[in-house]
Amino acid sequence: MSESILECRGLRRSFGKLVAVDGVGFHIDRGETYGLLGPNGAGKTTSMSMIVGLLERDAGEVMVAGEPMTTRSVRAKSALGYVPQDLAIYPDLSGRENLMFFARLYGMSTAQAKSRSDEVLELTGLADRAGDQTKQYSGGMKRRLNIGIGLLHRPRLLILDEPTVGVDPQSRNAILESVEGLSGAGMAVLYTTHYMEEAERLCDRIGIIDHGKLIAEGTRAELVGMVGEGDQVRLSATGDLAGAAAQLSERSWVRQAKALDGSVDLVVENARSELPAILTDMAAADVTVRSVEVTEPDLEAVFLHLTGRALRD
Amino acid sequence: MRSTWLICRKDLKARLRDRSALLIGIVVPLGLAFIFNTIFSGLSGGSVIRLAVVDADHGAVSQQFTSQVLPAVGRSGLISVHAEPTLARAQALAAKGTLAAVIVIPAGFSARVQASQPASMQVIGNVDDPISTEVARSIAEGYAADLNRVRLSVATVAASHPAAPLTPAQVQALTARAAATAAPVAVSDVSAQTRELDQKSFFAAGMAVFFLFFTVQFGVTSLLEERNDGTLARLLAAPVSRASILGGKLLTSFLLGAISMAALVAATTVLFGAKWGNPAGVTVLILAAILAATGIMALIATLARNAEQASNWQSVVAVILGLIGGTFFPVSQGPGILSSLTFAAPQAWFLRGLGDLRGGGISVVWVPALAMIGFAAVTGGLALFRLRRLAEV
Amino acid sequence: MKMLWIGLANLRRMFRVRTNIFFVFVFPMVLILVLGATFGGSSSPRLGVVTSGSGPLGAALLRQLEQTPHLRVVTVSSPSVLLTQVERGNLEAGAVIPPGYDGAVRAGQAATLRYLARPDQSSQQLGETVRGAVARQAALLGAARFAVAQHAASGFDAGLAVATRIAPAVPAVTVNQTTVGTTLFSRTLGQFDEGAWTELLLFLFLTAMTGSVALIETRRLGLARRMLATPTSPATVIGGETLGRVLISCVQALVIILGSALLFGVNWGQPAGVAAVVILFALAAAGAGVFVGTLFRNEQQAMGISLLLGLGLGALGGCMVPLEVFSPTMRNIAHITPQAWGNDAFARLVGHGASIAGILPQLGILAAYAAVLLTLAAWRLRRVLSA
Repeated sequence: MSESILECRGLRRSFGKLVAVDGVGFHIDRGETYGLLGPNGAGKTTSMSMIVGLLERDAGEVMVAGEPMTTRSVRAKSALGYVPQDLAIYPDLSGRENLMFFARLYGMSTAQAKSRSDEVLELTGLADRAGDQTKQYSGGMKRRLNIGIGLLHRPRLLILDEPTVGVDPQSRNAILESVEGLSGAGMAVLYTTHYMEEAERLCDRIGIIDHGKLIAEGTRAELVGMVGEGDQVRLSATGDLAGAAAQLSERSWVRQAKALDGSVDLVVENARSELPAILTDMAAADVTVRSVEVTEPDLEAVFLHLTGRALRD
Repeated sequence: MRSTWLICRKDLKARLRDRSALLIGIVVPLGLAFIFNTIFSGLSGGSVIRLAVVDADHGAVSQQFTSQVLPAVGRSGLISVHAEPTLARAQALAAKGTLAAVIVIPAGFSARVQASQPASMQVIGNVDDPISTEVARSIAEGYAADLNRVRLSVATVAASHPAAPLTPAQVQALTARAAATAAPVAVSDVSAQTRELDQKSFFAAGMAVFFLFFTVQFGVTSLLEERNDGTLARLLAAPVSRASILGGKLLTSFLLGAISMAALVAATTVLFGAKWGNPAGVTVLILAAILAATGIMALIATLARNAEQASNWQSVVAVILGLIGGTFFPVSQGPGILSSLTFAAPQAWFLRGLGDLRGGGISVVWVPALAMIGFAAVTGGLALFRLRRLAEV
Repeated sequence: MKMLWIGLANLRRMFRVRTNIFFVFVFPMVLILVLGATFGGSSSPRLGVVTSGSGPLGAALLRQLEQTPHLRVVTVSSPSVLLTQVERGNLEAGAVIPPGYDGAVRAGQAATLRYLARPDQSSQQLGETVRGAVARQAALLGAARFAVAQHAASGFDAGLAVATRIAPAVPAVTVNQTTVGTTLFSRTLGQFDEGAWTELLLFLFLTAMTGSVALIETRRLGLARRMLATPTSPATVIGGETLGRVLISCVQALVIILGSALLFGVNWGQPAGVAAVVILFALAAAGAGVFVGTLFRNEQQAMGISLLLGLGLGALGGCMVPLEVFSPTMRNIAHITPQAWGNDAFARLVGHGASIAGILPQLGILAAYAAVLLTLAAWRLRRVLSA
């Protein structure tokens, strides 16, 4: 409990007749990167807004670093850094002026704000354009500043709301690398996305959200394990494929074995560790294996398994 | 409080950099006041009425008119009169418009007057200057009426003795006596104070207060803009109370208005000699006007869905209030209905306050100031009430 | 024609914003109404008169004042109220017939009427009119008093009765008035006429100016580029944008002209002449508007400058205070603006019943303005669009 940087329970919020968030609850430990994964309209942003204190809750509790969070809390908000999905920077002010403004708004003195702004400018690679008005920045630069503002006051927990939507692959990679860097440095991060690869890459734990409910939660391995599907192994081979298939299906850890035209398709538990055995069996059946393809189940599969729908629409 | 000031400062910085606030707040009203001032001071209406008198008579009666009556009026500065030797020249000048009117005393005038015969003077006026012609006519008629009084006095006495007609000597004696008697009714001039702004100051004040309602729009409308741009979410996520955010925006409106008004007062006073009046009184009125403007414009902003709609509606209201508030032309000259409607506009109270200040001491500003603060309280209160809901993302 | 489509799109966009309907159509009409009601028609200055306690003779003097032409008498209850009204400008001047006036006149004492005025010229002018009226009344009173003093009448009232009876028969000194000079308007103008044409010109120009803001929006939204990406030549885009401004002006003029004619009985003069003035002026205004639009990238700055130019040039050109009251120097300066030439044209059309042939010089100048401004606009727009 005292380790948790974020603790939320039973979050509920409706807009008219639409129930956007229905009983979402999770916790984030210190230094942990937690991902909230779900399709568009699942309730990610609404949950986020309640956690950040932008939106009133219909029900539920939020505690940030032990402080209760409401739309009015000042202490709880000081511990959070927020990077909204849409760029939230002032176009008529320079990069430095944007940073100075928010730094002071987060309670820093002028001197502190100045030194910290300089640090963030270095960090985001904007130091040489710091004096230009942000409306002159490129899209990538604006994104970096957007994130930089969230980091200014060295928050205990950084919240990023779908930061890579509509971003070119290069900038996207840069963003992901920065988040990895922050996690590596020990910052707790709450990361919402509908891109499975990002969740898999960045997050220690993932919560899957759909239709306002948290339908599953755990590490990647735990989630994938829920599916119980097993790995798919495709061996392109020549020879007595039927015989090889029959022999492999005797193995306890082989769920399925099929001989196709030019390949043997298997569904096995834990393909990585069993691969040597598979190849041995194939050799014993006098089959020449040309290539091996192992496909492990992913979060998409988890989502499909849990909801019957695809993660991405 | 600190956050309120930080937000206000940020807004002011962005606004002043934008230059549009400077334009609407200072340049445009100053420019217009200057243009109106130039036009109006160039109007022909403000100058002395130029008259000429053609005395074809040179008799005692006409001498009295030309050497006593006309100069007396001339001393008041209303008219400037000179003698024209010939009627033809005088008529030509009047036709051209160089003279507003000519008073002609025909030959034989004095003789006819003294003989109690009908006599007449002539006034020839330029067709496009009826007012000046009327003045010339009134002066002539006044003199004629006095001559008639003498005649009538004698005739009244004669009429009371219908049986015994008066002898010429008696008539002469009576005439002399009547002429020596003063007219029974005199007119004395009492100077009233001007509780109205002179033209220059009217334009300066009118334009300033008209554009004030545009200048203050920038503050609260920016709340809608920030909601649109996404930066409002950041402000709400920051450890800053909602009151600070709203307060910061309102403060921005107020300060922009104050800067604009201060600059306009200074510029119009220095550049074209506008007289605003007692500084303390003017300050009270200006502060009250800024509050009223901020409140009204803020309320409209809260009723709109986005910044563009807000700014459109605000402009419509500002123009309507400006019209009925008498910033384009003095309401006192307008149709009757305007005099009742005008009090619905804070601008009217502001201008009235300045006008009264011209004629009186500082205590006259309290009523207009309180009226404007009343506007501010009601509209501002409603706006704050609605703004709470607005500050939710 | 593509140009027409672009132009019509502009027109449609203008109407979509409802507050535009106010500024483009409603407000000009309201202003015409207010101006006509205030300044149109001859308005006599208002004289407030206090007569309390002044007796029957005081009432007689009041009646004399009421019968005086070029004067509008308003009775006021007390001197203090009168003072306030005069000081505020609600009355041009005031007259107090003091209590005891009646008695003083009868008793042969000096009676004084207090004339309350502010130290400005129009009040002084009114003072002369009041003096004239008082002198006429004083003639009768003086005669009555004289008769009493000469023991020719038994009492004041008797004397007054005699004086009043014989007054018409007594040969009097009169004042004849004639006028010379050519009048500015040979026909009598309706109450709203002058206000209508001056406001029409003011708002045609102002709308074209503020419409330049719409042009910037077009650029800002990248629509102009998009138009150029289609197989449309720059000349067509430029022509279309300008045509849009002209179409808006024409619709505006149509509504104002027909509306004011129907609602306020405004006379506009020969239709052909009116159409010519409006179209040429609209072209000039469109050129000016498009040109200003290309000078700015920021909407709000453009709006500010548009207001300044629209209102300023309008005022200078005689759209707020009519040209005939300008001093000769100012009148010359005023003719820098196209508005002044437009006002001249209308003054001839309405005030002198001229036909289109009678305003050819003014039309020529307006055409020259249009040509120059449109050329400038086209040049700038081309440069800006290709940048």
